[in-house]
Amino acid sequence: MAISGNRNGSLGGLLAVGAALAFMPMMGFPAFYDSFFYVIFYWISLATSWSLLSGYAGYFSLGHAAFLGAGMYTSATLAVKFNWPFLATIPAAAAVAALLGCGIGALVFRLPRLRGELFALMTLAVTFVLATVILNTPIDGGSGVFLSAVPVPAIIKSQTGSIYLLGLAMCIITLAIAWTVSHSKLGLGLYAISDDEDVAEVKGVPTFRYKMIAFALSSGIAGAVGGVHSIYVGFLTVGETFGIAVPLSVILMSVLGGARHWLGPAVGATLITLALFGFASAGQTIIGRAVVALLLIVSVLCLPEGIIPTFLRRRRLAAARRLASAESARVEQEAAPAPSSASTPAATPVAVDVSNLKPAPAAQDARVVLEVEDVRKSFGGLQALRGVTLDVREGEILGLIGPNGCGKTTLINMITGHLPLSGGTIKLGGEKISGLPAHMIARRGIARTYQIPRPFVHLSTLENVEMCVRFGGRGSGAAREQALHWLSFCGLEQRAQAMPVDLNLRERKVLELARALAAKPRVLLLDEVMSGLNPSEVDTAIRLVRQIRDQGTTIVFVEHLMRAVVQLSDRVAVMNEGTLLTAGLPEQVMRDSRVMDIYFGHGHAA
Amino acid sequence: MPSFTLLGQALVSGLLAGGLYGLLGLGLSLSWGLLRLVNIAHFALAFLGAYLTYEFGTELHLNIAFALLLILPTFFVFGVMLHWLFKRFGVGEFGSLLVTFGVAVIIESLIQWFWTADFRRFETPYASSSFKVGPIYVPALELAAFLTATVLAGGAWLWLNRTYVGKALRASAEDAQIAAAFGVNHRAQSYLLSGLCSAFAGVAGVFIALISTLAPSQIWTWLGVVFAVVIIGRLGNPLGALAAGVLIGACEGLAMAVISPAWAPVVSFSILIVILLWQPRWL
Amino acid sequence: MLLEVRNLHVGYGDATAVWDVSFDVAEGSITTVIGPNGAGKSTMINAIAGLLPYRLGTIRVDGADMAGVPPHGYCERGIALIPEGRRLFTTMTVEENLDIGCYRPYARARRAATLQSVYERFPVLKERRAQPAGHLSGGQQQMVAIGRALMACPRLMLFDEPSLGLAPSIVDKMFEIIRDIRNEGVAVLLVEQNVQKSMEIADAACVLEHGRIVTAGRPADLLVQPHIQQAYLGIN
Repeated sequence: MAISGNRNGSLGGLLAVGAALAFMPMMGFPAFYDSFFYVIFYWISLATSWSLLSGYAGYFSLGHAAFLGAGMYTSATLAVKFNWPFLATIPAAAAVAALLGCGIGALVFRLPRLRGELFALMTLAVTFVLATVILNTPIDGGSGVFLSAVPVPAIIKSQTGSIYLLGLAMCIITLAIAWTVSHSKLGLGLYAISDDEDVAEVKGVPTFRYKMIAFALSSGIAGAVGGVHSIYVGFLTVGETFGIAVPLSVILMSVLGGARHWLGPAVGATLITLALFGFASAGQTIIGRAVVALLLIVSVLCLPEGIIPTFLRRRRLAAARRLASAESARVEQEAAPAPSSASTPAATPVAVDVSNLKPAPAAQDARVVLEVEDVRKSFGGLQALRGVTLDVREGEILGLIGPNGCGKTTLINMITGHLPLSGGTIKLGGEKISGLPAHMIARRGIARTYQIPRPFVHLSTLENVEMCVRFGGRGSGAAREQALHWLSFCGLEQRAQAMPVDLNLRERKVLELARALAAKPRVLLLDEVMSGLNPSEVDTAIRLVRQIRDQGTTIVFVEHLMRAVVQLSDRVAVMNEGTLLTAGLPEQVMRDSRVMDIYFGHGHAA
Repeated sequence: MPSFTLLGQALVSGLLAGGLYGLLGLGLSLSWGLLRLVNIAHFALAFLGAYLTYEFGTELHLNIAFALLLILPTFFVFGVMLHWLFKRFGVGEFGSLLVTFGVAVIIESLIQWFWTADFRRFETPYASSSFKVGPIYVPALELAAFLTATVLAGGAWLWLNRTYVGKALRASAEDAQIAAAFGVNHRAQSYLLSGLCSAFAGVAGVFIALISTLAPSQIWTWLGVVFAVVIIGRLGNPLGALAAGVLIGACEGLAMAVISPAWAPVVSFSILIVILLWQPRWL
Repeated sequence: MLLEVRNLHVGYGDATAVWDVSFDVAEGSITTVIGPNGAGKSTMINAIAGLLPYRLGTIRVDGADMAGVPPHGYCERGIALIPEGRRLFTTMTVEENLDIGCYRPYARARRAATLQSVYERFPVLKERRAQPAGHLSGGQQQMVAIGRALMACPRLMLFDEPSLGLAPSIVDKMFEIIRDIRNEGVAVLLVEQNVQKSMEIADAACVLEHGRIVTAGRPADLLVQPHIQQAYLGIN
């Protein structure tokens, strides 16, 4: 789902609706309406706050009740036992819940293995533990907590009206926060984490920090909502508060409406609440629940993205189809029909902007930009790298070759920080980078492409590149313009609005390249960028790589296609069985008998 | 500090209760570990089995054997159909969690529709019978549940490790493509396994009816503990599920005796949290 | 001809990786397919093993068309695969891996005899039969992979880059084993990066580049072509 869309219009619209709704309690409707709308606001706030982490970043939490309950009991305890004015308890409730969220996050988000269902179960477990603790301590003690003695803050004369306004305020604040997050750099990072956390980290997204922020916001809001809710309910019990109904309802509402969209959970919450209410007033609560459950099943099976994203996607596809048919109508008029080939038409060689090209510095006397010193890596008992020492000179194109399994990709993974070193150091521009988190290494100026392209599937081509501009941290100027510049540089600007799933393999590889360039790296690591390309595409790629180097970027590229290696490299390094065999000028290296041995096998006559 | 007899009694009760946890977790562990599908409906299905047992026994005055005769094949078919649904719509691991949650709520609503939310107790003459081993009472029904769990878990283990189909299932779980390259028809086998897991839920349900008081909301109280059991016992490992169930049951029993009954749930979840934090590579 | 491939087109998603490939493998012979990385060799062999569907063309095994045969039906026709990267069932023991190899009824009936011959060929596997396959070294794992395929009593064995990641001494042994297998009457289709070694043992060879067969014939004839050297080292 592309993030682009009406920016300030939506936020303004939201505030206008909020203002209009604020007048409702004073219009003299029966008190029942205040309660009814309050319940809708309550669920909208709860579902939207849940999706801040779980929908945007993909870490599904089953423990939202823990934060709601923490907020409810904090407010209730402060109001009843310590006689705080009720409004003051709400920020306290938010703080306690946020603290709980941060505590869990600090423990859990550092672990790379704890994804998906395990995070869900962990949050569920925390809910049960918290419930038991509250049940067995004087906080609740089993008898429940009565708030009947707590005065409702008199915002307006009517009690139910005041509660309505509190609920409305929470709802508008929550939606505004959701809108702001989803349109901000934080939101972009969270969506990237959801699509591919490892790649996001390597492209410069501070994943741990962002997850913590999202979790803190999510839990804090739930706590505040709980605070308000405690006075609505009036009587708290552990069973009702920490039951399975809350976490599962918010998941259902968000999944139905679209967990990644800022308005999705609100749509889902409204629909479900109305449906349940309809059934309840007809005296059919049980059937109502069953129908809602059926709705969940159907929406997961048929509308996996949710109502709003599906609707947006269909609209975008329809627009693209209209554009494509207009385009093909124009082409038909202009050219004679060409014989169709089984693959998509090859891209025409792009006219490159040469105004920024600098002459390549003489590689021989350039200073060293990347130093790999005696780097080792073991996986359990397996030694993947046995001490590799390699200097990369500024402005050169270094080809890195070797048979499969020799450790080339492992070395790249270690330079980018994806894998920790077992020994040795790596320095960039004289400063040690080994041991830093991957997103900081990216900020220092290392970028890479993946052999099998790993674009962020929910972002458009342009947004993929834009993301890398914003998180690469080394450019200046508007991110969108820069992203467009890099797309044109690579010849992909016509596909800017397309989603990665609509691109063919060559285009996806080019997107990989554009993303890496967008961070304006000092050193660019290319991992088998030519594999899968046909000969003319390879030529284009070779030209492109040269242009990139001519802009001042140092390039290390792993490749099997010898033609490309020989044509492009200033120097070639050969790896074998985890060590560096030799390095030097292409002609020398290729004639080295040891190199020919490992490619041709023993006994080959030179 | 309670007496040794009391502790011993608590321990034995906990061990036996753990057997039921293991029985309930058996089907869940196998389908999650070998089919990569998280089946929350497993619990609802078990309780449906419990309610059916109650109905046959209390209202229709039929033997438990009749209940089993009806439940086992019906639940098997249900399991096959559920798996068909997953395959037809290409539902992944997380999607299965959501879909089965929906199914669980539907089953719970069904139960509440027919049997209301009132507590139900299946009265049998065996309810109060127990053996005496030294000063310790061993309740007969709980022992029967424990033994059944052991037999089923052992049988499942033997099936997975000593038969071709079992080994094929384990191989497919790791690399279905290569298993197929050697002739394994994973599709047919996964239907078989899914049906069996649901049938296991039915067996667990029969014992739940015999041992516990029934209420629709109970479905959710067992969910947490059994998930903990399944994860601690390692997914796809039938004996592990049993062992983990017994371990957690024993810890809960002791906690109940030493601290207070109310703190029992904390035990299983705290163990789960610790395991998830320190040993996630089990999964 | 045991294996006849005609006009095969295989794709990955939207990319067509293998174009219009045709070749034969005769009974009891070794045919090797060489080519640079990314040429489509693995794609092609995976299609012949039934792992990948193919878009156009025919595959005939012993005269029978494989069209419409489900993936788990290929082994029954006498095809056994030693996949790239071995792809053993790492959590299962060595012997259990071999058991999966003889899953098909014909092979299962002959399990005892086949197992014995596999253990004779690879004594180290007999020592480690109860160990999880994931604990073995690369060379030993390759032996398990070969043993697993042998357990299927195949008529055609497909080797996908068997020398990958192995030390040179083990590579020699492995090619000897492939030659022995051929001498016992099993046909072999060998996809390899190691041109020298594979040409030494092959009866027929073809070169796959960018998804197409650019040349084919007897190894001796192909080895003297400068194009072969060009494809690998880039210079004459």
